[in-house]
Amino acid sequence: MMNNIVTEGDQSTQAIALGADAGGVGRRRSLGNWRPLLLLIPAFVIVSLFFLAPLIDVFIRSITDPKPGVQNYVWLFTTEANINVVVRTFVTAIVVTLVCLLLAYPYAYLMTIVSDRTRNLMQLFIMMPLWTSILVRTLAWMVLLQDTGPINGLLMAWFGIGPIPLIRTTFGVALGMSQVLLPFMVLPLYSSMAKIDKRLLPAASNLGANPVTAFFTVYLPLSRPGIFSGGVTVFILGLGFYIIPALLGSSKESMISALIQQQISVFLMWGQGTALGIFLLVCTILILIVVSRFNRGGSLFPGVDR
Amino acid sequence: MFNIQHSARRRGIALATGGAVLALLLTACSGSAPEQAQPERDLGTPVAGEVKAGALDGVTLTFAGSGGIFQDGQTEALWDPFAKASGATFLQDAFDAGKLKAMVDSGNVSWDIVNATQFDTARGCGTLYEEYDYSQIDTSKIPEGTITDKCMVPQILYGLVVVYNTDKFGDNPPTSAADFFDTKKFPGKRTVSQSTYVDPQTVEFALTAQGKDVKNITTDDIDTAFDMYRELGDDVIGWTTGAQAQQQLESGEAVMGLVWSGRGYGAAAAGAPVAPMWDQWMIMVDSNGIPKGVKDKQAAFAAVNYSIGAEQQAKMTELTSYGPVNVDAKPKLDETLSTWMTTDHLDTGIAPNVDFWVENYDALATAWASWATGS
Repeated sequence: MMNNIVTEGDQSTQAIALGADAGGVGRRRSLGNWRPLLLLIPAFVIVSLFFLAPLIDVFIRSITDPKPGVQNYVWLFTTEANINVVVRTFVTAIVVTLVCLLLAYPYAYLMTIVSDRTRNLMQLFIMMPLWTSILVRTLAWMVLLQDTGPINGLLMAWFGIGPIPLIRTTFGVALGMSQVLLPFMVLPLYSSMAKIDKRLLPAASNLGANPVTAFFTVYLPLSRPGIFSGGVTVFILGLGFYIIPALLGSSKESMISALIQQQISVFLMWGQGTALGIFLLVCTILILIVVSRFNRGGSLFPGVDR
Repeated sequence: MFNIQHSARRRGIALATGGAVLALLLTACSGSAPEQAQPERDLGTPVAGEVKAGALDGVTLTFAGSGGIFQDGQTEALWDPFAKASGATFLQDAFDAGKLKAMVDSGNVSWDIVNATQFDTARGCGTLYEEYDYSQIDTSKIPEGTITDKCMVPQILYGLVVVYNTDKFGDNPPTSAADFFDTKKFPGKRTVSQSTYVDPQTVEFALTAQGKDVKNITTDDIDTAFDMYRELGDDVIGWTTGAQAQQQLESGEAVMGLVWSGRGYGAAAAGAPVAPMWDQWMIMVDSNGIPKGVKDKQAAFAAVNYSIGAEQQAKMTELTSYGPVNVDAKPKLDETLSTWMTTDHLDTGIAPNVDFWVENYDALATAWASWATGS
């Protein structure tokens, strides 16, 4: 892969050189070093205009609105409700990540051993939820989970128990979020598992490892990049969830994004809202740094190899 | 040869992206249009529900509302007929207070009339909302006491009403705010707003149940009120959206609820066995707010003045179930809707202490955020 890129780069360098009618091998080399960087300009401009500049604006607001100072951050860390919501947000995201991992791992493994046809079908099933509006899916869960819904109806009719609280519980929120986030776990897991040499497991058992040992000492470590990249993706996406906790949870499940929305759009206290946003961003960056330390040699981003 | 073509194509791409970047920069840099002079037309003495024919030819107005059947009904009953009569073009958008603030801050206001709460306009009067020139509005038919600040003309009159299940309490219905908190006499789950959208009337309702006069409340009372709801423990479930409130009442999950009157009516219209308790209820008024820096204030005033006509309000009520803000409005109501008309029960309604809430908004926001996130 790397070789290809180099060849292509050389070709283009050559082409540019020919087009400009410039000569000299040394010159061509130096041109080749920086010219491709020009291709980054559109992305750089877009990112700075639409991401970096607003981000800086958000940060400045958080320390100037309504007056200069750190009062918004003081408010953030001294208000009990904020701390509760932040802790709850992280706990929910961790639970959802673990649930997704437990569900996705066997599924992704199965995808590596079935026929191409079945794999395509399995991929379709995992992608299908992504093509349905998140609102529609969440409403479907609302109908299924409510006290007078079909699940509780069946439980009452067949087992005479219930209604068991399903909706407006952490369970309901975790269920809804896991369904939405599952593809983001399955796909990186699958892409890293697909690269594992299948012969390693028979080799391990040949050397006397039982299946459990073989799995934990050979397969699991090799699939680690997938676990990390899937886990980080699901966790970070999970931190920012808004609509599912709002609909499947009660106020007791609302997460930090609900707090931000409320500060920005209801109370119009933008200083406090932006402080919450910056806090969430800093936490996310810290997590990425910490996790990438544990995951030396692997990439956190699906499909990117270091 | 191949290489040259290749390079030409690459350069084409580079040019195209360069052009796109330039275009982006240009759009980003072209700031707000220069301040336009307020056009002053002679529209005559305002009469609610009337506008000089064709007086606003070529003017475009945008209404930002709350969506759903509510905004659809307003469009059909108020804004479209106004557009037809005045010659103006009327556009619809979705209101968000945060977006309004962003518009006003950046000096690029694209809404002319918005549906805000009476607390929104009172709190943002002069900063986010334009003060009304009431000489351009015929306010003579507006229900007494419903103009609660200088930046509003009422849009609808509704309420926070106790709605109860008639299968459970039909023989012995609740008759006071205190009954809502009496789980012995009225067992079962009640639903109350834990929506992000703060309704100070939720606080006032609990204080009313304690026998307090909402005209005489202090900031300490705010926590007292939320504690009353918290003390209901497992018997209180929250609603975070109006649709959820209605659904909880319809499914029977909640046997009682403190909900927006329109949502109670929605449950009843869907066939649920529910009825409103009118003995003590909290009056709510939504404002027609005019965003600060709006391009054509006079046209916006004219539209608001037209919208509060008796005929327009009657039709709006028929379409949306929300109470009219014109005392002469005579909507044709079916049997269900007539039991939910807030305007028939103004004598037992409790009006909010708007000044108190504007003054103590920070305390309310903190307490509400804590309540609405389950702390």
